Amino acid sequence: MIKACYIHIPFCSSICSYCDFCKVYYHDKWITDYLNSLEREIKNIYQGEELDTIYIGGGTPTCLNIDELKRLFEILKIFNISDHLEFTIEGNIESIDKEKLELFKTNKVNRLSIGVETFNPNHLKFLNRNHTTQEVTDKIKLIKNSDFDNINIDLIYAIPNQTIDDVKKDIELFLSLDLPHLSVYSLIIEEHTKLYIDGTKNIDEDLDYKMYKTINEMLSSSGYHQYEISNYAKDNYESRHNITYWNNDEYYGFGLGASGYIGNIRYTNTRSIDNYIKGNYIYESEKLNEIEKLENALILGLRKTKGISISEFNNKYHKDILNDEIVKGLIKEEKLIKEVDNIYINPKYLYLSNEILIRFIK
Amino acid sequence: MKQENIRNFSIIAHIDHGKSTLADRILEETRAITEREQKSQLLDNMDLERERGITIKLNAVQLKYNYKNEDYLLHLIDTPGHVDFSYEVSRSLAACEGALLIVDAAQGIQAQTLANLYLALENDLTIIPVINKIDLPNADIEKVKKELEDTLGFKEDEIILTSAKRGIGIAELIEAIIERVPAPKGNKNDKLQALIFDSYYDPYRGVVALIRVMNGKIKVGDQMKMMSNGLVYDVVELGVHNPHPTKKDLLVAGEVGTVSGAIKNISDIKVGDTITLVDDPATDLLPGYKPMKSMVFCGLYPLESSKYPELREALEKLKLNDASLEFTPETSKALGFGFRCGFLGLLHMEIIQERIEREFNINLIATSPSVIYEVSLTDGSTINIDSPVKLPDRVKINDIKEPYIRTNIFVTSEYIGPIMELCQNKRGIYNSIEYLDKTRVSIHYEIPLSEIVYDFFEKLKSSTKGYASFDYDFIGYKSSNLVKMDILLNGEVIDALSVIVHKDFAYNRGKVIVENLRKLIPRQQFEVPIQATIGNKVIARADIKAVRKNVLAKCYGGDVSRKRKLLEKQKEGKKRMKIVGSVEIPQEAFLSVLSMDTEE
Repeated sequence: MIKACYIHIPFCSSICSYCDFCKVYYHDKWITDYLNSLEREIKNIYQGEELDTIYIGGGTPTCLNIDELKRLFEILKIFNISDHLEFTIEGNIESIDKEKLELFKTNKVNRLSIGVETFNPNHLKFLNRNHTTQEVTDKIKLIKNSDFDNINIDLIYAIPNQTIDDVKKDIELFLSLDLPHLSVYSLIIEEHTKLYIDGTKNIDEDLDYKMYKTINEMLSSSGYHQYEISNYAKDNYESRHNITYWNNDEYYGFGLGASGYIGNIRYTNTRSIDNYIKGNYIYESEKLNEIEKLENALILGLRKTKGISISEFNNKYHKDILNDEIVKGLIKEEKLIKEVDNIYINPKYLYLSNEILIRFIK
Repeated sequence: MKQENIRNFSIIAHIDHGKSTLADRILEETRAITEREQKSQLLDNMDLERERGITIKLNAVQLKYNYKNEDYLLHLIDTPGHVDFSYEVSRSLAACEGALLIVDAAQGIQAQTLANLYLALENDLTIIPVINKIDLPNADIEKVKKELEDTLGFKEDEIILTSAKRGIGIAELIEAIIERVPAPKGNKNDKLQALIFDSYYDPYRGVVALIRVMNGKIKVGDQMKMMSNGLVYDVVELGVHNPHPTKKDLLVAGEVGTVSGAIKNISDIKVGDTITLVDDPATDLLPGYKPMKSMVFCGLYPLESSKYPELREALEKLKLNDASLEFTPETSKALGFGFRCGFLGLLHMEIIQERIEREFNINLIATSPSVIYEVSLTDGSTINIDSPVKLPDRVKINDIKEPYIRTNIFVTSEYIGPIMELCQNKRGIYNSIEYLDKTRVSIHYEIPLSEIVYDFFEKLKSSTKGYASFDYDFIGYKSSNLVKMDILLNGEVIDALSVIVHKDFAYNRGKVIVENLRKLIPRQQFEVPIQATIGNKVIARADIKAVRKNVLAKCYGGDVSRKRKLLEKQKEGKKRMKIVGSVEIPQEAFLSVLSMDTEE
C-alpha cells in the first residue's frame, strides 16, 4: 500500500555551485507545459491510495510565482489524503513570501524545508547562494508567524576553507532560530557541478570528522536527536516522508528526474525537460528480486540510528534477519548492535556506515 | 624453382619506422594479398601487436614476382623490432641473404636501427638502405640520406626512397631485392641442415617450426632430428605461407617454409637449432645456436586466489607459443599461490602480463621485477637467485654479483646532461659518448640490469621529451654491495614487496617506497604503520591513517537505485584490493616499489 508521494519541481532562479540534483533555470515559458505534463503523469499512475506524506522537492519549488503555485496545488487536489498528512514543500529564503505562505497553508502544507546551507557570507558566495543572515532570521520569523511550526533547514559543512569555529557559528545560529529539525550534510563534490569542474578538492578527512563530531555534540546537548545519518530533530518532528525511504516502503515519484518505488519496481524519470513535456517520463526502471529487496531493506534501514525493527523486518520479508550470516558476523564484530527488537549500527561506526553496508551487497 | 631465382630477405627497423606497413605493401605489389585482405599490417597476427604497433612473433611469407621475364621466389621473413627479442631477430636474419634497413624520413637513425643493422652485418647480409615515410610533412630526406652515408657508409645511389603508406617506391624496392640480394648458396645434395628461426603452436598440427633449409632437402615422411637435444619426429607436413598456408611435399636448400610433426611441447623446438635427417645426419649444428635465457623475473599472482588454476592454464597456453616464457609455482605469504615467471626482457614481461589480463581475463598482481643474482656463500658454494625472498641470511653471504648491461642511448646532444644524471642515479658507470654527427650522440654507460627494470624507460622518456632511443647489451656479472630491504605493514613483512637494493641507495629507496605506499594504500579501518627495514633496522616509516568518513550523506529525493549503485561501485573497488593480514592493498602498490620518485 503506497502512502507517500514525491513531486519534483526542477526550476531554480540560480544554480548552486555544488548541486547535481535535477534542475533547470526557471523560465516561465516552460512552467505551464511542465505542470500540464506533471498532471498527466499523476493521472496515469496514481491509483487513489490514501497518502500519509507528500513532499514537493526541487530544484526550488518556491521559485514558482503565485499563479503557477496555485496551478500546482490544483493538480495535487487529485490526491486522497489522510487526516494526519505530512505535507512538505522545499524552498529557499529569497523566494518565500507572505502570499505564498498563505497559499501553502490553505492547501494543507504543514512542513517547510528551507535551504540555508550556511550563514557565513564567504561560504554562501562560494556555494552561489544569495541570502544574508538577516534575511534568514526575518524569513523564518515570517514563516512562524504564518502558523508553521514544523520547519527544517538544510546546512552544509566541510566547505573548503571552513574552520571548526565557522561550523560552530553556523550551528549556534541555527539553534538561535529555534527550529525543530535540521538536515546537515557534508559537502560532496559531485561530477557535473561547478565545483567539480573548477577542480575543488574535498577538505581533509580528519577535519571533516571533527566537524561532524562537533555538530553532533552541539545538537544533542540542545535537545536534538540524530535519527538518521544526516538528520536531527526534536522529539516527534522526524520527517515521516523521508522515513518512508529508509523503511524501504513504496512511494510515488512524479516530475522531472524523480524516482519512485511501486510494486517490485524502482524507476527513475527522465532528466530531459523536453522528453518530460512530451510525456516520455521514465528514464529507467528495474524490477527487484527478493535478494535485492532484502539488501535494500538492510542498507536503507541501517541509515536510521534506531536501525531496523526485527519483528517488522521478519514479518515483511518472511526471513529471520538474525539468521543472516552477514548480520551475525557484524553483530559479533560489534559493528551492529542488537537491542530488544532493533538492530542498528554501533554509533561509533555510523560515520563509516558504507564500510558496513557494502557487505550486504552481493 | 631454380635456386638462383630465390631471394630470402627480412626487414629491420627501429620501432614505428613503418616496417609492417612496408611488408604489407610488398605483399600487395606481388599480388600475394588482395586489397580486401589488406587489413593493415597482415603480418602482425595478434591484436596486441597491432595495437602497440610492434611485431612480437616472426612470420615468413613466400611471394612470387616476375622480373625481366623471369619468375622469382621471394621469402620475406619478418622480425620483431625490440631489444628483448634480439636473439630471435639474429636467427631470422641468419635465415636470409639480405635485409632492408628501414629508416624513418623524419626521425633518421635510431638506437634499434643500429642494433639491428649490426645483427644483420654479423650475419653477412646484403643491406638495402630504405628511407621510408618520405611523404611526411616533416620528412628531411637529404638529412637522413647524409646520415646513412656518413654514419653507416652507404652510397647515395644505394638508397631507395619509399612511402609505404602511399605505395611510393615499392616496385623499385622489390627489383632492388632481386638485383642486389644474392641467391642462397647451399647445396641441395648435401646432408640436411635446416635452421629453426621461429615456432608457433597450432591446435591441429602441434608445434610448427619455421625453417630455412640451408643444405639438403626435407620431404614429408622423413624422420627428422633436432640436433641440440637429439629429439626425433616424423615429418608430417611441410608448407609455406603465401601468405595463406599451402602444403608442400618437399623443401630444398635455399627455401623457407614450415615443418610440423606431431610435436607437443614448444620447448623441444628451440630457435636457432638445426634440423637434420635421422637416416643421413649432418655432423654439425649450424653456427650461432644459443639456448634461451630469461633475464627478468617477477611473481605473478591472481588477485582472486581462486583463479590460481586459471592462471596456470593461461601461462601454459601462452607457453605453447612462446618458448622463452618460463614459470614455476611460487608461494608468497602475502599473496598466496602464484608463479615465478622468467622473461627475455621488460617488454616481454609487460606483454605477457597484458595478455593474461586481457585474453584470459585474470586480474594480476605482479611483484617487482628481479634479475638473477649470483650469490657466493661463506661455505664456498654459489647460488643463483631470481627473487629477493630467496636471498639467504646476510651472515651466510660472502659476495653478491649482479648482471650489468651496456647502454646505447641515442639522443641529440642537448640531452646529454639529463641522461648522464639519470645514468648516475641508476648506479651507471660512464663508458663513452660517440658523436654520430654534429648534434646526435650515442651514450654508453654500464648499468646494473636491476636498475633498468626500475622505471628507467619512463625516466629516459620524460627527461628527453620522448626523443631518446635506447638499446642495451648484456655484458656480464659484477660484484655489488647489495642488501635485501623488507617492507612491513602493520608489523608484518610483506614478502611480495621485498627488494634487493644497493646499500648506498637503500635509505633513499626506502623513504620513497614507504611514502609511495602511504599514498597508494587507502585509509584503513585502523591506523597502519609502514616500515622499510634492512636486517632488523628500520630505515623509513610512515603511517596509513584510519578511515574517518565513509558515508553517503544525502539520499536524493528517494533515489535509492543511485545510492545502491554508489555502494556497488565502492564494493567493486574493494574487490580490486588484496587483503594481506587485515590491510587492504591495491594492485598498484605492489609495483610502487619500482618507482624512484614519489608519486604525484
